[in-house]
Amino acid sequence: MTAIEAIGYELPAERTPGRTWSDRLAPLWANKLAVVGGVITLFFLIVAAAGLAVMVVPGWSDLYVDQRLRQTLVWPLQDGFVLGTDNHGRSLAWRIAAGTAVSLFIGVVVTLLSMTLGMILGAVAGYAGGAVDRLISGMIDLVWGFPVILVAVIFVGLVDPGLTAVILAVSVVNWAGFARIVRAQVLSLKERAFVEAARALGVPGWKIVLRHLVPNMLGTALVMGSYYIAVTVIAEAGLSFIGLGAQPPTPSLGQMIADGRNFLYGNPWAALLPGITIALIVLGLNTLGDGLRDIFDPRLRRW
Amino acid sequence: MTRTVAYRSLYALVILLIASFAVFYGMRLAPGDVADVLASHPTGQLTAERVREDLGLNKPILVQYATYMGKLLRGDLGLSLINGQPILTILESSAGYTLKLAAVAALLSLIMSIPLGLLGAWKRNSSFDQGTMLIAVLGMGIPNFFLAILLIQVFAVWLKWLPVAGYETPQHIIMPAIALAAEAMAINLRVVRSSVLEQLGLDYVRTLHAKGVSDQRILWLHVLRNALPPIVALAGVLMRTLLGYTLIVETIFRWPGLGYQLVNAVLKRDYTVAQTLAILLTAAVILFNLLADLGQQWADPRTRRQAGAG
Repeated sequence: MTAIEAIGYELPAERTPGRTWSDRLAPLWANKLAVVGGVITLFFLIVAAAGLAVMVVPGWSDLYVDQRLRQTLVWPLQDGFVLGTDNHGRSLAWRIAAGTAVSLFIGVVVTLLSMTLGMILGAVAGYAGGAVDRLISGMIDLVWGFPVILVAVIFVGLVDPGLTAVILAVSVVNWAGFARIVRAQVLSLKERAFVEAARALGVPGWKIVLRHLVPNMLGTALVMGSYYIAVTVIAEAGLSFIGLGAQPPTPSLGQMIADGRNFLYGNPWAALLPGITIALIVLGLNTLGDGLRDIFDPRLRRW
Repeated sequence: MTRTVAYRSLYALVILLIASFAVFYGMRLAPGDVADVLASHPTGQLTAERVREDLGLNKPILVQYATYMGKLLRGDLGLSLINGQPILTILESSAGYTLKLAAVAALLSLIMSIPLGLLGAWKRNSSFDQGTMLIAVLGMGIPNFFLAILLIQVFAVWLKWLPVAGYETPQHIIMPAIALAAEAMAINLRVVRSSVLEQLGLDYVRTLHAKGVSDQRILWLHVLRNALPPIVALAGVLMRTLLGYTLIVETIFRWPGLGYQLVNAVLKRDYTVAQTLAILLTAAVILFNLLADLGQQWADPRTRRQAGAG
């Protein structure tokens, strides 16, 4: 018995050199929030996949565009319609699936666009400092927190109502959210020893940013990404709701609510179900984001 | 402090100039030439060339912008392209409605969130705390336009307590105000709670306790004051968001405010109205930014010196 064992001190377990994926995912499983959010999000990804299928596979589109004039505003679980039909007798279940596909597609595209732009500009501002930083920070101040809807209205003036206007408007505002956080992180990371060491070895600035700083921020990016997809889904639905977003025949959850609101007396589910879908998608993404935040970066708060 | 106010105001002015130019330029690029639209008007015998001349559309864009802003500042807002109504009239009738709605919503969100967040933090993890957190999660997850539909379904369609849409009676403001306030309330609730929780763990609270100061006094006087800076900082962001949401909520409830008019103008391609209303709303957003900035410095004296030097 060695002295250390005698006093009851446990030697730290040796680190196995190659961690398996189950090791890496262990903290994720231990985090209930992340699991619940992940399951909800996964469910809607499957729904979206089904929606995408009926939209792109030739012949399947009948499922969500076919109008049945004798079966309008059917309540859920009647006449063989799981979720009922809308005022044109179209299957709500398939329309919701297609709308979910559109919503998540827009959410992911916008988030990837604004994340890429925001991370690059934020990292450059934080790393370069000086005049470059002042210019980029000024741009961030200009758009950060600006009402997306107001920007979208301006873009709709530019390119006609539609999803292009939505993508442009939300990206123009959202990149600043990423850029702010990334800039702040780079500012603190660049003073760390490993960056200093790389600089001392003569590694060029762009390479330090790409190889040493960006990988350190991937956790943050993932957390913020899930929040921003949720924000984008809400913005798209809101704009489509007031007629500035997706235009018929593109199915959109926001537009379905707007159509359904005129028939609240007939079949409220035509408006309620798409709304519940949006709320659940957002809830899933936000919960997933909260869980990921607890895992990757407990200090990062949403506001 | 005077220097800070001057510096911040100047900065806000520069941002306003850039933003308003962006809106102005954006509307110029819009599909469909305004001159063609006007010239095709059935009543007029105008040619597109003549209209361009009249509106100054053949001058350089910066000159057009300067002329437009000059008129705007003198209160000459021009006419609607669609019905020839003076934009000033539209503005006068709608601004009051938006202000009223936004003020009621802002007040509602503050009155709800501050006491609930404070008490939730005080009785941490109690069922009261968990209940308020559930409200916060729901408030953030349910989009305002869907909340509006839910409210209409319950209070107008089923219970018939409130009118579906419109603006004539005081009851008309209840549902739009709730729909508008919900998200701001939820976010505020979370921030108040976490900010108060942070304060409750600090030494001065224990000291006050040891001195025999009552719990209520500690909470409402000392802790709330120290927990203010993040709340005030957030209030600015929330006001901007609220202003953006008026576009949606006013449209749903046919509340004849600026947002409703702007959305209508955009949908009808009434560029002169859309442009002026968009610039004015942008100005309001920037003004809120400025106020939030200054408000935060008032709430947190520690940031004053630093910002003045910046």
